[in-house]
Amino acid sequence: MDAMNTPPPQVPPQIPPSPLAHPAWVPLGENPEERTPIPNAVVAIEALLRQPRRVMYQLRQPGAGRLIGGMLIVSIVCSLIYGVVVGSFSMHEQLWTAPVKVAGGLLFAAVICLPSLYIFACLSGSRARLSEIIGLVSGLLALMTILLIGFAPVAWLFSQSTQSANWMGTLHLLFWGIATLFGLRFLESGFSHSQARSNAGLNTWIIIFVLVVLQMTTALRPIVGRSSDLLPTTKKFFVTHWADSLKVDSSETRQ
Amino acid sequence: MAGSDYQRIMNTGVHSSGLAISELLRADPQEVGAWTRRWDARHIAGQVGLIVLGAGLYGGAMGWWRDPQQALYTAIKFPLIILLVTAGNGLLNSMLAPLLGLNIPFRQSLVSILMSFAIASVILGSFSPLVAFLVWNAPPIGNLAASGSTYSVIMLTHVAVIAFAGLAANVRLWGLLRESGGSRVAANRVLIAWLSINLFLGSQLSWIFRPFIGAPGLELQFFREHPLAGNFYEAVYRSMTHLLNFD
Repeated sequence: MDAMNTPPPQVPPQIPPSPLAHPAWVPLGENPEERTPIPNAVVAIEALLRQPRRVMYQLRQPGAGRLIGGMLIVSIVCSLIYGVVVGSFSMHEQLWTAPVKVAGGLLFAAVICLPSLYIFACLSGSRARLSEIIGLVSGLLALMTILLIGFAPVAWLFSQSTQSANWMGTLHLLFWGIATLFGLRFLESGFSHSQARSNAGLNTWIIIFVLVVLQMTTALRPIVGRSSDLLPTTKKFFVTHWADSLKVDSSETRQ
Repeated sequence: MAGSDYQRIMNTGVHSSGLAISELLRADPQEVGAWTRRWDARHIAGQVGLIVLGAGLYGGAMGWWRDPQQALYTAIKFPLIILLVTAGNGLLNSMLAPLLGLNIPFRQSLVSILMSFAIASVILGSFSPLVAFLVWNAPPIGNLAASGSTYSVIMLTHVAVIAFAGLAANVRLWGLLRESGGSRVAANRVLIAWLSINLFLGSQLSWIFRPFIGAPGLELQFFREHPLAGNFYEAVYRSMTHLLNFD
């Protein structure tokens, strides 16, 4: 009798699963939410952050070109905005050259690395089409630059309170590194659904991509700090440039 | 993609399309094996086109460090060597295959080798923007003394990329040989024999067609003076004796 009088246990409210709750072996599109189209760039940003599997699923659907275009526009706009923050360290002409260099450099790096990613994907046995690979790279760039926007207020604050170009360069690299980690996680997750036999090719490509972007920061210097020339007159590898920069008195670089 | 779709794409002769290239790179032994057993001029032309484009782009990136004219020369010479090796060794390769335990006809051996070179060329072509970017960031080749380790970095990059392309292509060729009815041992023997012969001829052709990067102190030329004088192996021998002070 006591048991009959006991109130039934309360059922806790259902918590929607996080994106990470779906392991790689669950096919894309299993969850009905993933099949919801992504109509514009704003929804694409939200989906990249909250429902990356939805983006991956939509990239396989007909008409994915609009989504890819939207993510590319997001990447360009976000990198331009972050570039203004980078340029605010030195002001003057850097307010427009730094955004152009940041946005142009990232896009150029992605374009020259894209063919090798496609080849690595095919060699790994991946069934992903070229448009899907382009979409995943667009997602990588978009997620990376959205996160950079998140870091922008902190970067701006530091840029207004230090004289050291080396310090600011290191800080921007740190922020870029963190943003890139998340972007690459998206790429790897998308790649895992393409029936690739191994990730060795993708991991090799990631190393190449990171090296290319790092070299781009040297090829397009100065991005932080100022110079009489818009682009460098001497060619250097980024490690050499960093070593040389550390030797220079950082206070002299902010003119 | 289903095999029938693959055949449809191959039958259209659109080898430059993304799908055809992706199938080629995956090189599923059964799908590609069926394709190599057939002789179709359009398929052959597609493979040759991929070699010209892929190896040409890589050759252009390689020669660009010296001069744009050298880039043009190397873009012509690189695919030409690959095609000459394929044609020059075609008969010998097809004779060796049955002798070493793999009974495939002349056409199939020729198409198989052409396919492996096409795979290598596509991989090389995909790396050409990266190599061009590397060259763009390198000090001019004429200033080698100032460039320090740049020369070594670029050389090692070429070695790594070409080795990777060759390795990936031969792994796929080996899978194809296994599918063609040969045992594991026979496939190994045929692959090693083909590699040895192609390397032997390829080295000499590379010697004749030198320069590829272009030495800074020498004149820009398609061929060096007297390209047929001497050979690759004599040069290696001379270099080794000089290094070891035997003369």
